[in-house]
Amino acid sequence: MKLWTMLGGAALALGVSACASNKTPATADVAVSREAVAAATSAGAADLAPAEMQSAREKLMRANQALAAKDYKTAQDLAAQASADAQLAQSKANSAKATTAADELQQNIRLLREELQRANATSQQ
Amino acid sequence: MKKFALMPAAFAVSVLFAACSTTPTTTSQLDQARGDFLAAQNNPSVAANAPLEFKAASDALDRANAAAAKKESLNEIDKLAYIAKQKIATAQEAARAKQAEADVANAGRQRDEIRLEARTAEANQAKANAERAKAEADAAKAQADAAANSARDEAAKNAALQQQLADLQAKQTERGVIITLSDVLFNVDRAELSAEGMRTVQKVADVLMQEPQSVVLVEGFTDSTGTSQHNLELSQRRAESVRAALVGLGVPSGKIGTRGYGEAYPVASNADAGSRQLNRRVEIVLSQNGAPIANRR
Repeated sequence: MKLWTMLGGAALALGVSACASNKTPATADVAVSREAVAAATSAGAADLAPAEMQSAREKLMRANQALAAKDYKTAQDLAAQASADAQLAQSKANSAKATTAADELQQNIRLLREELQRANATSQQ
Repeated sequence: MKKFALMPAAFAVSVLFAACSTTPTTTSQLDQARGDFLAAQNNPSVAANAPLEFKAASDALDRANAAAAKKESLNEIDKLAYIAKQKIATAQEAARAKQAEADVANAGRQRDEIRLEARTAEANQAKANAERAKAEADAAKAQADAAANSARDEAAKNAALQQQLADLQAKQTERGVIITLSDVLFNVDRAELSAEGMRTVQKVADVLMQEPQSVVLVEGFTDSTGTSQHNLELSQRRAESVRAALVGLGVPSGKIGTRGYGEAYPVASNADAGSRQLNRRVEIVLSQNGAPIANRR
């Protein structure tokens, strides 16, 4: 029995240690994801990509909690996901703004064209 | 007892190893990520506009696939697959944003072209307007010149007429213009016009031809010598004589009236030969605007 439990315990320990990270990378990853969330907020992602922003913030919060609890693996995982969410939110915000600008400009051009046609029609009378 | 104690531990171990040894090559999350990746790969806009983001997504998917190949836990695979999915979506959004920015630049150019077209059309329109205005101005000037010419002609004609009337010593009165033919233009006590009389009547006819709307009244007068009956007759006959001469020169007969007044309305005293001669006269009254001539008072 001792042998089995020892083997089991060793296997478990191996499993855990294979996936273990230490504190510094985890702290760095959480800091990076905090920056990513801030950048996305500046880009207006709160309005333009609310779902992704909410996910990012929530995961960042849980990453901080994991870091405080010294669960570095979880902290790193959550930070990575928070960063990915924040980056997606930011790029969504940017593309929404650019698309809106392009649409407005197309509208302006359409109006300009109509005006030109009208002017041509009256001048030929 | 030993057996039972062993069981949970052994079970736990076997589960652990089972989990590691029977890892499937994929999860639904990873399948989705692979599908999203293919879509992004086939989107030419992504390759063109967001190569860096696409590379990052590709690397993330590689990590997820590697975890699946190494038969890591479902949880691990899913976590990496999730990140890959988010990065693939990020690449798509980045491509969309770049494309929109290119559209903005393109649209800016289009707008400038349209503005140029509009300004050119405006300029052409202004040019056409200016040409039309010039043509109108030229036509107006031509009209004005023609009017000035005809006014000049009119003035010249008028001056000539005034000169003729002056020659005839015409006087403007309230009844009209009066031209007096004196006694010397008739032979003594006769009604026929002398040669000089005819010349004078010719001048009067010329004036009348220029004023087609005029109405004429020829009035005859004598001095006080002789009977009033004789003088009335003579004065009437002299008036008729002038009228006949005017008609003979082309003045329409319907325009000309005659009247003899005899000794009435003398213009001088009848006391001496000179003043009596003055009374022996024919007066031609012209009403130039065609209104009928008022009677003498």
